[in-house]
Amino acid sequence: MASLVSVKDVVKRYRRGREFVEVLHHLDLEIAAGEFLPLMGPSGSGKTTLLNLIGGLDLPTSGEVVVGGERIDRMSAGQLARWRARHVGFVFQFYNLMPTLSAAANVELPLLLTSLSGSQRKANVAAALELVGLSDRARHKPNELSGGQQQRVAIARAIVADPTLLVCDEPTGDLDRENAEEILSLLQQLNREQGKTVIMVTHDPKAAEFASRIVSLDKGSLVGAPAGAPVGQGA
Amino acid sequence: MKFLHLVWSGIWRKLDRSILTLISIVNAFLIFGLLQGLSSGIDNVAKESSAAVLMTFSKVSQIEPIPMGHVAQILTVPGVKAVTPMVIFSGTYRSPLQIVPAIAVNLDQYLAVYPDVKVAPDAVQAMHQTRNGALVGKKLAQSYGWKIGDTVPIKSVLWLNRDGGAVWPVKIVGFLGGDRGGPTMLVNYAYVDEGRTQSKGTASFFFLKTTDPKLATEIGAKVDALFANSPHETRTVTPRQMAQTQFKQIGDIALVINAIVGAIFFALLFSVGAVMAQSVRERTPELAILKTIGFTDGAVLALLLAETLVFCLFAAGIGLGLAEIAFPLIRKSIGFQASAGPILLAGLGFAVALAVISGAPPAIRAMRLQIVDALAGR
Repeated sequence: MASLVSVKDVVKRYRRGREFVEVLHHLDLEIAAGEFLPLMGPSGSGKTTLLNLIGGLDLPTSGEVVVGGERIDRMSAGQLARWRARHVGFVFQFYNLMPTLSAAANVELPLLLTSLSGSQRKANVAAALELVGLSDRARHKPNELSGGQQQRVAIARAIVADPTLLVCDEPTGDLDRENAEEILSLLQQLNREQGKTVIMVTHDPKAAEFASRIVSLDKGSLVGAPAGAPVGQGA
Repeated sequence: MKFLHLVWSGIWRKLDRSILTLISIVNAFLIFGLLQGLSSGIDNVAKESSAAVLMTFSKVSQIEPIPMGHVAQILTVPGVKAVTPMVIFSGTYRSPLQIVPAIAVNLDQYLAVYPDVKVAPDAVQAMHQTRNGALVGKKLAQSYGWKIGDTVPIKSVLWLNRDGGAVWPVKIVGFLGGDRGGPTMLVNYAYVDEGRTQSKGTASFFFLKTTDPKLATEIGAKVDALFANSPHETRTVTPRQMAQTQFKQIGDIALVINAIVGAIFFALLFSVGAVMAQSVRERTPELAILKTIGFTDGAVLALLLAETLVFCLFAAGIGLGLAEIAFPLIRKSIGFQASAGPILLAGLGFAVALAVISGAPPAIRAMRLQIVDALAGR
């Protein structure tokens, strides 16, 4: 299958006070279109940093990040923002919904950046909410929803603009077992039925059951299975 | 427009804090509107005075009467077209709160000086035939329920009559037309002068109609020269100069008002700025999410500035609206006509400036927010 994400010789350093800390060391990774890929590893191993680079939230210190054929490491902040709006959906551990907006208004946010008409936006929001099973909660504010429901709204927000790539940072980290499994099932459904490429930082071993392969990081380097090699047992 | 609900929901994110801030801005703009109304009212008093009319009064004091004999001499000055004596006859009706602003004049001479005052010919005729006749403004007549033919008692604040009392019965014989902004009752000079027990044969002021407003200062100097070194020296000025002189006696009102308004807005800048800064700090993760899903730095800046702008304009609109409601009350209580339009425009201008100055620093900070740091809570 064609590669959607290509990370080549990527180094990421952060400044901590007077010192520079290298978080990722000359990392190479290929992710095929349509993969469901858990990024695993201990805390501080660089999983979220790698996810942020792939999602265009951060830029590497050196190396290349190519997503969908575009060198996103060369983009300006404005170009990256517009690229994210078109190509990437984000799901976070703590949902990060706007507390003052209804579920529908939260889902609509990415569509405000498009040229869709009000009625088209409404139709897309309704479809996204239906896909995550929350059509009857459209008017509810986040504080009127359970954790699992809030994460479903976040997933609906992530997919409403029909991105090719879903970037999830510990999406089940704040949920109980039952809700966590529902969210994982939903992400798998989006992967299988909608063809979304899902890259997910997780500590949840259950995620491996849905994955075609697992990528593990430790101290800023890939460990275990070589990058690109299918090891999963799921899809 | 599609971002309006996002802007509006951001404004009311912390309802109690937003309401308190709203009240403080409303209050500031209400005070601004009222004080500017007062200031513009004073300006209007001066502006409404025609430069074609001069006012002559005693050089010793504005309350010192001047002899009627001056009239004939003043009429000899080139450029003086007409002269009317005027005696302040203000008083009260039934209760001390029912004020009647009145003057005693020679009606023909008065109408020669003030041709813009419209009086029906039959009312002029009735004034000539009725010694204690009075012409009243329609608003005054309506507020006290007066009709033509009524005889009403006016209790003078200045003049006792020959009976030793201060009550002067006057008969309403007609109404004053035109856009009179001054006294709303005219009575015959002869009635007051013959009836009063002191200052007979004198006037409080003379009003002079000139042939050319540009010559007003020159004509005024010639009039005053006529009576120089006499027992009744005069000072002749335009009513505008007179009004300004009177207002300056209680200080430079415009300066005081501007200083108060300036202090209020200066304090408001900091309070609104602090509220906006606090709001942006609290919303750092939310703003980071907006950036994550594709809002550019400029879009975040514009969103936050729009929030401040909408909030300030909304609050200023309420404050200025309340002031607008109060303008007629100001006029009723102190007789000034405020210029509402320019004050509203200036107020909205201040609201925009307030929003931009107080909202820009936190909005710029939000614009520079690094998504990764903000999401990580750094």
